[in-house]
Amino acid sequence: MRTPAYRANVRKLVIMAAIVLASAAAYMLVEVNFSSSKLMNYALSLRAPKLIVMLITAFAIGGASIVFQSIINNTIVTPCLLGMNSLYTLIHTAVVFVAGTGSVIAVNANLAFAVDVAIMGIAATVIYSYFFKKTNHNVLYVLLIGTVLTSLFSSIQTTLTRVMDPNEYDTLLNSLVASFSNVNSEIIVLSLVLLAAIIFVLRRELALLDVLTLGKEQAISLGVDYDKCIRKLLLGVTLCIAVATAMVGPISFLGLIIANLSRQLLKTYRHSLLILGSAFFGMIVLVIGQLIVEHVYSYAVPVSVFITVGGGIYFLYLLLTEKKV
Amino acid sequence: MDKLAITNFIMFCSVLSRKGAKVKKYAVTLVLVFILIVLSLLSLFIGVIDIDLKALAGGDSEAWWIFLASRLSRLLAILCTGVGMSVAGLIMQQLCMNKFVSPTTGATISSAQFGILLALLFMPASTLWGRAIFAFVMAILGTWTFVWFIQRIKFKDVVMVPLVGIMFGNVIGGVTNYLAYKYEMTQALSTWLVGHFSLVIRGRYEIVYLTVPLVILAFIFANHFNIVGMGKDFSKNLGVHYNAVLFMGLTIAAMITASIVVVVGSISYIGLIVPNVVAMFKGDKIRGTIIDTALFGAIFVLVCDMIGRVVIAPYELPIELIVGILGSLIFIGLLMYRLKNGRKAIRLGAAGSSACAAAAGAAAERGEGA
Amino acid sequence: MEVRELTKKYDGKTVVDSVSFTIPKGKVISLIGPNGAGKSTVMGIISRLIARDSGLVAFEGQDISKWKSKELSKRLAILTQTNNIQMKLTVRELVTFGRFPYSGGHNTPEDEEIISRAIEYMELQEFEDRFIDELSGGQRQRAMIAMVIAQDTEHVLLDEPTNNLDIYHATNMMKIVRRLCDELGKTVILVLHEINYAAFYSDYICAFKDGRIAHFGPVKEVMTKEVLGDIYNVDFEIMEISGKPLSIYY
Repeated sequence: MRTPAYRANVRKLVIMAAIVLASAAAYMLVEVNFSSSKLMNYALSLRAPKLIVMLITAFAIGGASIVFQSIINNTIVTPCLLGMNSLYTLIHTAVVFVAGTGSVIAVNANLAFAVDVAIMGIAATVIYSYFFKKTNHNVLYVLLIGTVLTSLFSSIQTTLTRVMDPNEYDTLLNSLVASFSNVNSEIIVLSLVLLAAIIFVLRRELALLDVLTLGKEQAISLGVDYDKCIRKLLLGVTLCIAVATAMVGPISFLGLIIANLSRQLLKTYRHSLLILGSAFFGMIVLVIGQLIVEHVYSYAVPVSVFITVGGGIYFLYLLLTEKKV
Repeated sequence: MDKLAITNFIMFCSVLSRKGAKVKKYAVTLVLVFILIVLSLLSLFIGVIDIDLKALAGGDSEAWWIFLASRLSRLLAILCTGVGMSVAGLIMQQLCMNKFVSPTTGATISSAQFGILLALLFMPASTLWGRAIFAFVMAILGTWTFVWFIQRIKFKDVVMVPLVGIMFGNVIGGVTNYLAYKYEMTQALSTWLVGHFSLVIRGRYEIVYLTVPLVILAFIFANHFNIVGMGKDFSKNLGVHYNAVLFMGLTIAAMITASIVVVVGSISYIGLIVPNVVAMFKGDKIRGTIIDTALFGAIFVLVCDMIGRVVIAPYELPIELIVGILGSLIFIGLLMYRLKNGRKAIRLGAAGSSACAAAAGAAAERGEGA
Repeated sequence: MEVRELTKKYDGKTVVDSVSFTIPKGKVISLIGPNGAGKSTVMGIISRLIARDSGLVAFEGQDISKWKSKELSKRLAILTQTNNIQMKLTVRELVTFGRFPYSGGHNTPEDEEIISRAIEYMELQEFEDRFIDELSGGQRQRAMIAMVIAQDTEHVLLDEPTNNLDIYHATNMMKIVRRLCDELGKTVILVLHEINYAAFYSDYICAFKDGRIAHFGPVKEVMTKEVLGDIYNVDFEIMEISGKPLSIYY
């Protein structure tokens, strides 16, 4: 069905893609010294991995947030608000804690990532399925428990770092958790492979997302194997969050902002469009945000601080205007 | 037949408990006092430098000085923190009629931190008192704003309130972070972000004593808070100035919190959990619970502090981390309990006046099911 | 469809207690009874939304849990009262979902034709491109029914379809139910609170009390002073209007 609305949305997405390209180009080229090829190459080799990491992160968080919102049938919840990213940093810290800072796992970024992702898949599914079930999918309770879990996970994580190295725990913390000033670009290839695999394995379930928005009863009535489908999608969501957190560290509100912007702009139920829109928004926010941070604030304020303030206000706005909570 | 027997037993039980309530009322408090004293003594003698008991007994003035400066100061700070945070939480919950409001979930702590940052920014040479004043003002303003805000909105579920509070606190924290990064204050601020007692030494912590008169004040006005908690019309009917008492109560709670944050740093969850746990056993009459809440809060902080000192001795874990772990687990437990036992369970505490009656009630429900 | 010895417990409390009945084909069957009598739970079980503890629901000779979900969805459609669709969805897009069991999301021209007819049948042409959340309650309910029609199943289960509708829209809904049966030959099973709607518009009534079937039969058999009085513990008078027994309770 190629309705006018659909065509309009495709147009919007094309424009967004153009903005993404433009901002990516700007990020790569602003204030580069073209007169010296050595300096130019140096600048580009620094920026290119960071740009790729931001694009992957935006896609992973944007897609995961949209999918998660549709699973739980509520647009004020995202996986990061429920502490999935803190869970990932905790898992990574715990793995290093158990294996030792000098071990192969701690030194080899790709190996560490693989181990973390495997544990994350299991741990997150167990923990979050348990709370969804126990709260009967009551969104407010899930949210409140999620925010408390965030502080639980990060408390345990900080404790572990302090136990590992009581003197230099800050340095250790910085090396364990990625951030925008310290992106983990070693795992780019592995992340891309993982994301592609997730999309491939879940292609059927992703196609069912449109039906899932009708709610559990109606989805079952239309012949969807609901529970299995939800379980698989939830696993995919956790793995996407793992990818994003491994690369740039926790950014709680990004998913909330971009997923809702995408829904507002596209006003559709089609998830293929929504996911693309959300990913593009994420790319624009991150790349332009980082551009501003690097050239206006000269790296002083990390982009995640802006996202927290903006996202927090936006969340309050959504929470208070949401009619169907 | 079985059902009847169970019901009879429960009736008997609750009658018994009501008769025994008067004795029990003080028994609980006495037990708490006893535990607190034992733990306090224990806490005094756990530590990095082994205290030379002989020197103390011999009246060695230097040994006494070290003892007082490090151990006793720390113990007093811990007690004030535990008492202060839990009473502040109790007042806030009572005034807002919501069991999930507390200095953590009501943006009080993050506002106080914001105040400290402002003091560091505008008066880099400020003393502890200077910072405290900034923290007081901001904590009071933050809490007022939050309460003003939530009173204007009809919430469908009580958990909306803490959610809004946590997010409000997040935003304030974000702004604090922004300023800290921008003016390169992150190092300086970090002391106040994660609460810990390791810097409590004489001359650096006395502000925390402010909690004592404030808690006493809270005790005097306990009945007023209780009445205001019943609502605007209810208090008018009884001739209580709703707004005056409300804002006074919030101010007391905010000042208690701020004076602790200035000295110790952020300590979350105590104000949330301690009053809830006590209310589960003792009901919601504030006069009846304020002392137990204070005692239990002190014990809780004391235990957390001891755990923090023992785990990686000779190093110390900040108390905020221990509280963060224990507190969030208990909080999730409380939430699940509330979900399982229906809305009334936590909002009204144990509906009866004693723990036994509540337990009997729960047993009755189970009994009928079986 | 045949239901045998159905039992369901929640936390040790029996909500459905060995319920057995057979649903006649091509009729409208209403499930009535006081709150907590178990009618909605039975509805949930026969529509596979709720798992049963014991008993059997046979559909076309095979147990309902043995059916492939997709195959079943071509024969049995459910409409529950929780239609809080939050997504931006137009009426036509919603109705399109009715073809999902057949097309899996890729519609043939034939599917589109069925969708258009369902929309026309519910007289929703002018709202076709409006978003669901911009419609009134009655229109939204009609759009949901249009989806069920597009799903083209022999059996249709409706859980309190008149809930939250005013008298005008509720009566319209009941007329639609009647037409689904008379014109499209569907078997419609619905849970109703309003006894007189059940009496006026259905062929059979299944009355529940305390998790058991108190009475199951043609409307005239169930709509008596004695039966109704026994189920609801209120006094009833039965009057006949346009050849249908209607009740007054006081």
